[in-house]
Amino acid sequence: MIASGRERGFMMVSNILLIIFAIVWLMPFVTILLSATRTQGDLISNGVFSIPKSIRWENFVDAWNTGGFTDYFKNSLLLILFKVPLGILIASLAAYPLAKMQFRGRGLIFIFFLIGLAVPVQVTLQPLLVMMKDLGIANSLAALVPPYLAFGLPFQIFVMRGFFRLLPNELLEAARVDGASNTAIFFKIMLPLSLPALATLAIIDTLATWNEFLIALVLISGKASRTVPVGLLQFQGEFSSQYTLLMAGVLISILPVLAVFVFLQKYFVAGLTGGVKG
Amino acid sequence: MPASLLKFFVTVSPMAGKHARVIRSATPWLFLAPAVFVYSMFLVGPMLFTLYTSFYEWDGLSDTMIYVGLRNYIDILFNDEVSQLALRNNLLWTAGAVTIPTLLGLLLAVGLNSVSPVKKLLRTLYYMPAVLPLISVGLIWGWMYNPHFGVINVFLRAVGLEQWAGGWLSSYSMALPATFITYVWSHVGFPMMLYLAGLQAIPREQYEAARIDGAGLWSTFRNITLPGLAETHVIVLSLAVFNGFRVFDLIYTMTYGGPGRSTHVLGTWMYFQTFQYYEAGYGAALSWVIAAIVLVVAIPYIRRMSRD
Amino acid sequence: MKLTQLGTTKLLLGTAASLMMLAANAEAQEKIRFFTIFDATQVELWTPVIEAFEAANPEYEVELETVAGSGAAVYPDVLRTSMASGDPADVFFMWGGSIAQPFIDAGQVKELSAEYDAHGWNDRFPPWIRDRLSSDGKIYGVPYHARGMGIWYRKDMFEEFGLSEPASYEELEGMCQTLADNGKYCASFGGKFGWHTMRLVDYFLEDTCGAEVHDAINARTDTWDQPCVVEAFARLQKWVDNKWLVPDFLTVAPNDARMPMYLGDAAMVYEGPWFERVLAADEQDSSNFEFFLPPTPSGRYHAFPEQWMIPAGAANPTGAAVFVDWITDAENQVNWPATFAGSATIGVTPDCGEQPHGCKWAEILGSDRGTYPPTDQAFSKELIDSFFEAQDSVVAGRMTPEEAAALIQKRVEAAM
Repeated sequence: MIASGRERGFMMVSNILLIIFAIVWLMPFVTILLSATRTQGDLISNGVFSIPKSIRWENFVDAWNTGGFTDYFKNSLLLILFKVPLGILIASLAAYPLAKMQFRGRGLIFIFFLIGLAVPVQVTLQPLLVMMKDLGIANSLAALVPPYLAFGLPFQIFVMRGFFRLLPNELLEAARVDGASNTAIFFKIMLPLSLPALATLAIIDTLATWNEFLIALVLISGKASRTVPVGLLQFQGEFSSQYTLLMAGVLISILPVLAVFVFLQKYFVAGLTGGVKG
Repeated sequence: MPASLLKFFVTVSPMAGKHARVIRSATPWLFLAPAVFVYSMFLVGPMLFTLYTSFYEWDGLSDTMIYVGLRNYIDILFNDEVSQLALRNNLLWTAGAVTIPTLLGLLLAVGLNSVSPVKKLLRTLYYMPAVLPLISVGLIWGWMYNPHFGVINVFLRAVGLEQWAGGWLSSYSMALPATFITYVWSHVGFPMMLYLAGLQAIPREQYEAARIDGAGLWSTFRNITLPGLAETHVIVLSLAVFNGFRVFDLIYTMTYGGPGRSTHVLGTWMYFQTFQYYEAGYGAALSWVIAAIVLVVAIPYIRRMSRD
Repeated sequence: MKLTQLGTTKLLLGTAASLMMLAANAEAQEKIRFFTIFDATQVELWTPVIEAFEAANPEYEVELETVAGSGAAVYPDVLRTSMASGDPADVFFMWGGSIAQPFIDAGQVKELSAEYDAHGWNDRFPPWIRDRLSSDGKIYGVPYHARGMGIWYRKDMFEEFGLSEPASYEELEGMCQTLADNGKYCASFGGKFGWHTMRLVDYFLEDTCGAEVHDAINARTDTWDQPCVVEAFARLQKWVDNKWLVPDFLTVAPNDARMPMYLGDAAMVYEGPWFERVLAADEQDSSNFEFFLPPTPSGRYHAFPEQWMIPAGAANPTGAAVFVDWITDAENQVNWPATFAGSATIGVTPDCGEQPHGCKWAEILGSDRGTYPPTDQAFSKELIDSFFEAQDSVVAGRMTPEEAAALIQKRVEAAM
């Protein structure tokens, strides 16, 4: 790298700024950590932002046990394992003809999907609950899958379509000449070549599914099928809040998604390129 | 035997070809079918149901529904002070959402566009707020903004900006901007990621050519980086518009529409009407107003994106 | 041969018998869906109660469903959705008055006169609570809690500044001034959601308007733009202007409002009997806290019931009534004093050694001293939000007390 002194100075300043800025960005997390590792009395009598008198790691165990997080984690994990791949598969299936086939109504159907980005989730809660009841799956984990799929599709189709469009047509033509069916082309060529985009969507969708609150709150009232974010609510009572346990619960709850994010970050950046170029 | 088989194929091939053409026109729909089914049933369906109820006066609980025609829409647009205030807040919010996190995201992306592990860590840090569950975002920022013991005020007093300290969220004029700061904090990671992706797509050679021509940092940024990100801008800005008009969670948890009704947006007002005032018809109409506005703003964008 | 045959027969019979038992069990084990606002602590307190009920009534299986969350914010929203979709629980928790009214008006809850007679509930609860739960002479709920509200204070701060419980509003003002002169705040409130600030305004209204007019304006048979209402809002303004209240509290969460008191910066909060449990949970020395009923000429105090309701569309209304009967029975409640602290059932009094404040509350709530409801249980949610808007505007100095009173009257008229 050849850089003039002035440029190097500029880089230095910008890097320092980025680090300072990141520390400010982290402040709320520091608060959460401070609150999660002390006693409720210490937090309340000495103030949220004071230094803890003593560190209390037991909060994490207490939060896990009194909150019954074993079930919530199991439910959220199950949901992600089932919903995320299924959603991305459905979106990719739809994105393939939108990107690579000529047919009547293609533009229209794409717009039809994008309209979904304009729909406020909260308005569909009541009709959704009625539907789930009619389907006989209200109050079960299964009730969350259809709405999560439906609300995830517009963005996912949009990204996948963009990525598929980047794949050279010659590749597909060659496969066709070799006698490959569209299904074979999709599974053997399109999907393997789109791994980065798929990983990107997997991260975004895992995050969205893991943190979704409103639909899960309304569609599931039983403890057995509850998910993690709704489970956190029980530390906020009618007249008082168990702040320390809540914060410990929050930290526990973000660990899995954070791990997924850190682990798949390289794909994340590479993957969105396709969507952007599309 | 193989010969007859071959013959069979040869003879049926015109038919097979015809058949293939038929398949060719049905194939796209077969691929689209699962998505169209799930999406129509669980998103479009409920939305159409609310379109129907938006022409009624209905408490959302009983069987009595009174047809009122367009009255709910007329009230929203002309008679309801809160929905007008909410619309104004939505416009301000969207204007903010389109500019500030986008700009910050762009700057962060340019600054962090490197494979160094430190920058990778920084990227994670900036994206982390998006990982937090909503309930904790409301609580933590409520504490940070707390007029009495909140760290923001403590800091302002400590650095001598006493006059700035105060009830950020309790002030009619500051509550919305203060909530928006939280929004920036939690949403800057997304445009950053999109821009980082966009930056990867700009060919290296362009930068090298510019360097050989002796272009400075600023002129490189202006002449290569910005134009190279044109497609990304469209995506980032459009998503900001979509999300700006649909904003709900953050305001619901942080201010609950208060103080007074000063921070209501269409999303929260719709929620209040439907779930708290038992005006499900009115709430439904509000949700269609939200959708209509977003679509009108977004149609040019959708057109552009669906062009070949 | 014979032996094996016998064995087979036995086996078959045994299998049949156990199958029949299973079937009988499956038939008899009716589910009772129990929908509540319980948080993690309350769930812990209620689990043994539910187990005991199931042991005493093996034909029922109780399924506890909870939606926690601060105050009357999240729970009613979820409840409403489950009702509207035709999938209600069998028993659910509800506040009294106008919060329950939409469900009554929509015909979503069961009228319980028959159950009251059948289970002998008529003499089980104090008359004021029954009255409060009745609507047009019909009764739709069974009392759970009797909740009073009063001003809790730090004894050490009262001692330090030579204060004692006031006998009149004027004395209370004097105390606030003393505290302010010493750099302390008089009271702390959390204005988010509106209902916390409302407690103070309600007290002002009771004091300025008197019992009769206060009841009349709550019932909307008298107007809100009258001098005593203006005076009540003027007091609110005075409390803000004189810095008697911890400032900038309009969007502070109610559960956070007590922190300035714990920090020793404010002397009082406006809370109910539950505050004893809160103090314990917050690891405070509860002997340093005491409460008094805010003084009024009428002698009345703030009180509201909480109740159990049975949806009209409940799948198991009979089981629901049996369950409600069991959990409101004094004989059962005495076994779990912590779970049933503040119970509305007559004859269930807390241990005065262990819960001195609860004991004092039980005495007050069981007395024939008059009560007035919090306004959010007298007004519909839409109307109470106008009330909150008025009080927020006064606190922020955006409206004069006259304008605030006029605004409420305008909205009351519009809602008629």
